[in-house]
Amino acid sequence: MGEYLLELRPEVEAFLFHEALLLDDLRFDEWLALFADEARYWMPIAETLDYDQSRVSAEGEWALVEETKAFMAKRLERMKTGMAFAEQPRSRTRHYVSNVLVSVGEGETVIARSNILVFQGRRDRKGEFFAGYRLDSLVRHDSSWLITERRVFLDQRVLPRALSVFL
Amino acid sequence: MATALMNHAEIETDDLHRLVDPARGIVNSRVFNDPEIYQRELTQIFMKTWTYVGHVAQIPNAGDYVTAFIGEDGVIVSRGRGGDINVLLNSCRHRGLAVCSSDRGNARLFRCPYHGWTYGRDGALLGVPKMQEAYHNELDKASHGLVRVPRVEIYRGFIFANWDYGAVSLEDYLGRDMLWYLDIPMVGALGNLVPIGPVMKFRMKANWKLASENFAGDDYHVLSTHGSAFRIGFLPDYDQLADYTANFDHGHGMGDIPKPGRAIENDRGMAQMFGPDAATYVEAFNARVREHLSERQADVHGIGEGNIFPNLSWIKFGCFHAFGLLQWLPKGPDEVEVWQTTFFDSGAPQSVKDYARSQMSQENAAAGIFGQDDGENFERISEVLRGAVCGKQDLHYAMGLGHEDEVKVEGLPGRLGPHYTEANHRNFYRYWLQLMTGREG
Repeated sequence: MGEYLLELRPEVEAFLFHEALLLDDLRFDEWLALFADEARYWMPIAETLDYDQSRVSAEGEWALVEETKAFMAKRLERMKTGMAFAEQPRSRTRHYVSNVLVSVGEGETVIARSNILVFQGRRDRKGEFFAGYRLDSLVRHDSSWLITERRVFLDQRVLPRALSVFL
Repeated sequence: MATALMNHAEIETDDLHRLVDPARGIVNSRVFNDPEIYQRELTQIFMKTWTYVGHVAQIPNAGDYVTAFIGEDGVIVSRGRGGDINVLLNSCRHRGLAVCSSDRGNARLFRCPYHGWTYGRDGALLGVPKMQEAYHNELDKASHGLVRVPRVEIYRGFIFANWDYGAVSLEDYLGRDMLWYLDIPMVGALGNLVPIGPVMKFRMKANWKLASENFAGDDYHVLSTHGSAFRIGFLPDYDQLADYTANFDHGHGMGDIPKPGRAIENDRGMAQMFGPDAATYVEAFNARVREHLSERQADVHGIGEGNIFPNLSWIKFGCFHAFGLLQWLPKGPDEVEVWQTTFFDSGAPQSVKDYARSQMSQENAAAGIFGQDDGENFERISEVLRGAVCGKQDLHYAMGLGHEDEVKVEGLPGRLGPHYTEANHRNFYRYWLQLMTGREG
């Protein structure tokens, strides 16, 4: 328990809850502004292995998501064309963020670890869930934080559908 | 049982020819939703053709294995002590459980969790608990090994298996004409074309053929389905990228073939983004193709995307683009599990590798801006086909009918077509019909 920055937790938790709210309320431009200019978004592939059951893509291997803020901005620009058919009409999402723990990161950063459960309601479909945990690297920015890196580790080996929402 | 057999006979003799009529450009919706047709595909298509099951670089050492599927049947692809490759049905001979539930690994034995029957890397039944007390030593172990897929062949490291003893060789099945194109990235690689990480897996609620026929040369959809990618400048004008389609014997097809000279010019332009290493790489890749294959293949340089019948699609543009393999694993008439493996040249400069890897995730993958829109459209087709009327309508596959032989380019093999045609779809369904009806021609 000693490794956690318990005094920062309420503040970081509020930041992550606010970020989830922006996503679920489709306020994507405000949401993207929470990321630092060079921010990286990475989501490795989980494998089912007998002897190393937690293995995911290593750095340098390909991943479900590997991009920087510049491409995340391209994704938002794409949504606005009206021709991004996987999100036209938009999915309804609900991001549940819990089990937040904050620890010391590299340099000026702190690492927020959180569990996520994301529901995606798409047109008339029953809906899909994505479950896993995130490791977010955060730096101070004015009175709030900026995300410099988001790593998402899903618990699903086989995704229930192509991934058209942010986790 | 008699009724079921009669129904099969009816489908075979009458319905299939009425449902699929390539000469008139008609494919009926039922081939995408009918459970009986689907069951027939599992035997007539997937047990008669070559299925990709893995790459030798995934199982370099004795005992290494990966798991895969042929149709809906799970298999283990296992490297034996002598370097031999075994493709074994992943099902215990006692109660049928999968004896291996891992994506890959290294194993001396495969042990069924239920009663503990144990098999070797070559599938031989080695251990049966309580052989004396339970079986009175009367169980014939020699005849109860894991079932072997009888034909296993490799093309430039890509392992394929086939249940059909009498099938033509893998190389004849793929055919020299299609391999003329596929050889370009395989031979142009300065090192080896190797998988760069795990197999990516995701589901689509759609019939597997919708994905296969799309990759077989549906260049027409790119303008609308992927319109957003052009609007945001992810791609230049589509007609500046590629020019032709081509189809081949055994139902194979490809699209986005650039006219000779186009792809290398695109790559030379892109190299300026990365620096001198990349510029050198383009020329070295092209020189290898010129030296080891032919002048004409070097002129083509980048090859587009395609589908190897029945359900193995690939994508590979210029030499900065990763080589993507997409397996459309059938999981019922209206569901497919996509297995995607990405390969790249181990001899490429690091900056080029980094680009190719992330670019594939962003483009044609589970979260890629192309892949997700394709999946959405395939799902929308399958949803609609549940209707009594929609599910029995004839769909239009007649684009370019009667104009099949109008594109000829010196030195380019295969039955060439223009950028926008459905000749490749008709070629796909012609072979599908041949296999499903068990008839030649």
